[in-house]
Amino acid sequence: MGRELDQGTKARNVLGPTQFVIWCLGISLEATVVVCAVLRGSFRRYIFLNLYMAATLLVEIGRFQFLKHFGSNSFEFIYFYFYSDALLTILLYFALISLYTVVFDEMKAEKYVRFGAVLLLAGTSLFTYAVVHQSSAKILTHFVFELCQNLYFVGLVLTFVLWGAVLKLRETRTRVIQFVLSLGVYFSAFAVTYALRNLFPNFQTPYLAQAIGFFLPFAWVYTFWRVPEEARLAPSRVTVVPR
Amino acid sequence: MSKYLAVVVLVMLVLVGAMGLKNVVTAHGDGSPVMANGTGPVPNPPWMANGTGPVPNPPWKANGTGPVPNPPWKASGTGSIL
Repeated sequence: MGRELDQGTKARNVLGPTQFVIWCLGISLEATVVVCAVLRGSFRRYIFLNLYMAATLLVEIGRFQFLKHFGSNSFEFIYFYFYSDALLTILLYFALISLYTVVFDEMKAEKYVRFGAVLLLAGTSLFTYAVVHQSSAKILTHFVFELCQNLYFVGLVLTFVLWGAVLKLRETRTRVIQFVLSLGVYFSAFAVTYALRNLFPNFQTPYLAQAIGFFLPFAWVYTFWRVPEEARLAPSRVTVVPR
Repeated sequence: MSKYLAVVVLVMLVLVGAMGLKNVVTAHGDGSPVMANGTGPVPNPPWMANGTGPVPNPPWKANGTGPVPNPPWKASGTGSIL
């Protein structure tokens, strides 16, 4: 706790004003999501979405404290960041699964969704362990990092499967559609950015990841505040070509 | 029972699809994280940490005073990695 940092390290550890402003705005938006959900009486209905956002808010505050005390290049901050990120990704996974239960509510398929969710999480964990186990002696940190990344791609695929189900089942609840689409955009944006960064190494995107993180709470604030629970929309009209 | 089997098949399909997609996207990746929850700055994972200060060994690196070999996942060459 009382470790002294030299001036060069201190200078590198300081956040830029843009990063700081985006971060503060993001934290404010995350708090606003939870407040809007409570004010609109939707906190319990979308409990996992709200729990994820509340947990993100707490983790962000924790990260800020770690960064303030130890600096952005410190192992304390890095370890806290990745372990908390893994927890948040698991929560986001359950938030996505909760949307599955909402969409498949009328089919009484809740137990199958739960079974599938647990099986998929276990399968992803086993796959991650199998990969990490072969390449590292002390595997916990690698496992946490890889599980986070693998769950992210599982979430990406699950979101598109859910969007297919929304279209197929002619889901009309605007809020559900907004949540699914916002998650689809959120997941896809990270994958596209990462692929672009690797295809074009000179493609510098210093604040893009932060800006993408900004999108999800913004979309959810809009959904909770502006879209009433009773609002209906027909997404199939947008995508199906009339004969 | 058949419904549970259908769920198992779907789960396996999603898992295979997700891991295939990951391989496509990160094929030429540098190991940096793909996604980040929240809007804060994203650090490199511990094994990619930069900085001017003394860098402690990450937990999976051996301690001691001898030369430290590359970790297995950075090994070059065509031989099998044990």
